[in-house]
Amino acid sequence: MRTTRTVGIPNFMHKANLTSRRSARLAAAALAVIGIAVIGAACSSDSDDDSITVYSGRSEELVAPLIERFEAQSDVNVDVRYGETADLALLIDEEGDNSPAHVFFAQSPGAVAFLAGKDRLGQLDEETVAPIDQRFVDPDRRWTGVSGRQRVLVYNTDELNEADLPSAVADVVGEDLQGKVAIAPANGSFQDFVTAYRTIEGEDVAATLLDDLGDDNPPTYAKNSAIVDAVARGEVTMGLVNHYYALRALAEDADLPVANHRFSAGDVGGLVIPATASVLADAEGNTAATEFIDFLLGEEAQTYFAEETFEYPLRDGVAPSGELPPLSELQPPTYEFGTLADLQTTARLISESGLE
Amino acid sequence: MTAAVGVIFLAPLGYLLIRNAGNDRLLEIVFSARAGTPLAGTLVLAVATAVIAGALGTAGAWLISRTDLPARRMWGLLLALPLVMPSFIAAFAFIAAFSPGGLMEEALGVPGFSVSGFWGALAVLSLLTYPYVLLPVAARLRQLPSSLEESARLLGKSPVQVFRQVVLPQATPAILAGCLLVFLYVVGDFGAVVLLRVETLTEGIFSNRLIDPEVSLAFSLLLAVVALSAAGGERRLSRSSVRDQVRDVSPVVVKLGKWLPAALAGLVALVSLALVIPAAVLVYWAARGLGGEGGGRITDDPASLVGPAVSTSLVSIVAAVVAVAVVLPVAYYMARKRDRLGGAVNAAVVSGFALPGLVVALSLVFWALGSEVLVVFYQTIPLLITAYVLNFGALALGSARVAVAGVPARLDDAARALGGSRLRRIIRIDLPLMAPGLLAGAGLVLLSAMKELPATLLLAPPGFSTLATKIWGAAQEAIWADASLAALVLLVASSLLTWALVLRRGGALG
Repeated sequence: MRTTRTVGIPNFMHKANLTSRRSARLAAAALAVIGIAVIGAACSSDSDDDSITVYSGRSEELVAPLIERFEAQSDVNVDVRYGETADLALLIDEEGDNSPAHVFFAQSPGAVAFLAGKDRLGQLDEETVAPIDQRFVDPDRRWTGVSGRQRVLVYNTDELNEADLPSAVADVVGEDLQGKVAIAPANGSFQDFVTAYRTIEGEDVAATLLDDLGDDNPPTYAKNSAIVDAVARGEVTMGLVNHYYALRALAEDADLPVANHRFSAGDVGGLVIPATASVLADAEGNTAATEFIDFLLGEEAQTYFAEETFEYPLRDGVAPSGELPPLSELQPPTYEFGTLADLQTTARLISESGLE
Repeated sequence: MTAAVGVIFLAPLGYLLIRNAGNDRLLEIVFSARAGTPLAGTLVLAVATAVIAGALGTAGAWLISRTDLPARRMWGLLLALPLVMPSFIAAFAFIAAFSPGGLMEEALGVPGFSVSGFWGALAVLSLLTYPYVLLPVAARLRQLPSSLEESARLLGKSPVQVFRQVVLPQATPAILAGCLLVFLYVVGDFGAVVLLRVETLTEGIFSNRLIDPEVSLAFSLLLAVVALSAAGGERRLSRSSVRDQVRDVSPVVVKLGKWLPAALAGLVALVSLALVIPAAVLVYWAARGLGGEGGGRITDDPASLVGPAVSTSLVSIVAAVVAVAVVLPVAYYMARKRDRLGGAVNAAVVSGFALPGLVVALSLVFWALGSEVLVVFYQTIPLLITAYVLNFGALALGSARVAVAGVPARLDDAARALGGSRLRRIIRIDLPLMAPGLLAGAGLVLLSAMKELPATLLLAPPGFSTLATKIWGAAQEAIWADASLAALVLLVASSLLTWALVLRRGGALG
């Protein structure tokens, strides 16, 4: 129970003094923080060649260790802004010529297409992209693939045998699998898959597959990892996702009843989507930025992607992690990774199919 | 001064207008079925959540501030805590706990159900947002005279009757202000609605932002219009509110009697759902990571969270103080004059809360880089704090208005008669009386800033991490052990700060 006090002027004054002293202290602290920040900003704003800013749509968990290694071996200091790939692309566009960024490290080529369409990206050196599998390099060199992730069908091993699973992505629809295959229609990787499907199999075939999927009324999730979690729980029995989520979930808990099923070699369902690196238009030819991208494409970083993030290295001669077949064996379908117009058509097809 | 505050708060709206001015498809998009469905989705979800959160928050506030409930302080803190959960992490925790095959089914054998869609979002958002009602209502109830309640009690009314007939009408302005905040929160929420797959305006803004930016911009403007209308509507509703009440010396305590078990059961159920179960999921994931199963950089080196925890706290405290300081003149103005300027500025401040952090952030990028003076602040802490204030000023304003209205004019008159200057009167008389309300408002801003994500990602200086960005980074890669550990640190840091800076000093929660 709270003690009661009689209200009187002295009491008020006592409290008032306390309050104003407290406010003064808080105000002083606020001013100090702001002051420090302004001074800090003033000092760091004069940039030189040995300091670059990277906007990274790839997460700190995956990328920070690599960047630390790069900083240790080079004289370049790297400032990183982590964020969602699409948001960072919007930010770069909004910043325009004033963007502090030199390098854009993106989750997928879609957002890069958005920026390339607005002439915000510079061209990479030919030597820089030379060691990379050229299927994953933009012909105009506005971006280079850094690592790849494959689309697979993740399934619950308690419920299903791999032998019973379809060998082509076109067969995930129909009576047997109706309503059993989870998808993430708003997810960038799913949209990249649809774009590839349209480009390779034609608009009508893609529209038919999407309509069939929509008619099956499949369980939908916000993202890949949510599907893998749901499959592991047994909430759904399988789902279309990127390959490394299951590998990572298994690394956390080896007993989880999940596994990846790859579609047969060459099937569009087995698309490999690259994470990409680009330089911004103003940073074209910037030596520190080039040095950073060279590092990402070098053997050390490529081995890191293979072993630590379970992705496919895209540099010729670097092997993927133990359980995965080499990229050359996968024969992933190739196509010219998206332009913005492609993305819009894809979004329209997905929305017309009722998959939302 | 009020007008100046209004101009600052108009930054995001101005940005949206400028960006939409060149949008030929604006009208076509806004008046199409494409906008109609998400608009309806947003309105239905936001109204339903506001009603449920309003009921939960009001009941909770009354129990902890006006009854003989045992351990009221503890309940107050526990009931306020769900506010610290970022909605995307709470939604994920609920999914993991309650879904078929989820942790509840595994641990207790309770059959799971699919947490998604409208009902899932309604449940998750109500549990996350009822504190927006609870805190201002609790502060209001402590300021109200208890004489009426006492009379009602003497006349033999039951606690429920007293509550309905006496307390409710008096607390209405605070309840409405809280419900408005809940409504706006839901209107602007990305995290839960995207994860739970509800078709709302924010979901449309999110999924179209790159593919079709014109749709995103048009939806953002539509959302701002919804927010402004809601703010205007709430002001009209609360116009007839009771003002100028004297704070009582000893708040009356209603004996719950035979209602006590029911009240306790309700509180236990609420706290379990909103706090204990999601927190238990986080603890489970974190413990699994720390035990060596999976985990990433954070579980390898938990001490790496100390830096982000400190910077998160400092920036949020500053944002809370600045927000209260900025909106206080508006609250005064609105209490003294009921004209259009006050209404307009109120609407501008309030609508900021509904705007997604992404929109607020992009608007500040636009204004900062477009000005030779402001460009110095680009990607600095002051600009980040500005974003927090624009986004969360509404949280401080609601409480500040209630607090200002609670200062009896006759005390002010007496002080004036005794020759006190205006500033002196404010510091000596108004501020101490308003302290619980102002602190509650500051507390709301503090908690929101601590978990803010989208604007922090875009506006913070490069390399500046907060706990929310750490949680997000780990959640992006589905490294749940790391995300949970960071979320638990956020939970603890937020609770400690709320207790030390708000509850202990303001007495807002008993």
